[in-house]
Amino acid sequence: MKTFEEDKELKQLLKSIKLEKPAPDFTKVVMNRVFQERAVVEQVRAEPVLGKGFWIILALFVLLMAVMVLMSGSNIAPESTVVLPEINTEKYMSGYRSFFENFGNLPVSIAGITLAFSMLIFLERFLSSRRPELT
Amino acid sequence: MEKKDDNYYIEKVINGQTNYFSYIVEKYQDIVFSIALKVLRNREDAEEMAQESFIKAYKSLHTFKGNAKFSTWIYRITYNTCISEVRKKKIHFTSADDVQIKDETEEMNLDGIPAENREKIIKAALDKLPEDEYTLVLLYYFEEQSIVEICKVTGLTESNAKVKLHRARKKLHTLLNEMMKDDLYTIL
Repeated sequence: MKTFEEDKELKQLLKSIKLEKPAPDFTKVVMNRVFQERAVVEQVRAEPVLGKGFWIILALFVLLMAVMVLMSGSNIAPESTVVLPEINTEKYMSGYRSFFENFGNLPVSIAGITLAFSMLIFLERFLSSRRPELT
Repeated sequence: MEKKDDNYYIEKVINGQTNYFSYIVEKYQDIVFSIALKVLRNREDAEEMAQESFIKAYKSLHTFKGNAKFSTWIYRITYNTCISEVRKKKIHFTSADDVQIKDETEEMNLDGIPAENREKIIKAALDKLPEDEYTLVLLYYFEEQSIVEICKVTGLTESNAKVKLHRARKKLHTLLNEMMKDDLYTIL
């Protein structure tokens, strides 16, 4: 009895048939989809990793920091009271200061974890946007 | 024009010359479509899944290391894509597992059958095989893939693939002999 490896007739027989063919425009359809995929990948690549929103928030944050530094240098509390005499700004400023004091008392490890976590998210986003495939 | 091997086109595509992917599609579309058609048993679904398989292959082309044959890689993508689709749609097909395998059906003589009928008979016999056996037969005899390569495509173990191939071959012999008899009776 022949083994499947020895069955040359069957091989010949099967090789003589024509396989089922897809529609004549199959290659065209696939290539159109491939080009679409490529366009999407290129668009993602062209997009900045950090969007406009991030830069606006960062600018506002830097601005806020700058204002805070300038304000902490000079005693502006009385001026504020002058500008807005009917509002007790000192009350708000003390609340604001105590918030940042408490924030500053946070353990370094928490700050480190937050920073590392942010870095990982940033790195993941950066690498996935540079990957040629889109999943 | 000189025919280049698959790796030449793959490298071109990876380096940004996407249009070279059409050579790969042209070369493998018939067998990819045949596998999809056998698994899904519907031309429309098969065409969609064949397209999907090529898109998947394109997207992960950079992961193709070239250790195995590209054909093995694309057939595995096709087979897995189609099997997943069948599972997703919860399609249940009744296969021709009830074919009585006869031990004496070793020799085949198709000489008396006209060529146009011969192809029809072979296709009809192949059509009666379950999709896993059809894929094994197609890859082994038609595509001349090795058992190791077939195992990579289907996920079967070597011994399992050999047993299935042996069974599929016997079944095919039985079916072909029965069909040839029917065809001869019709001619006579």
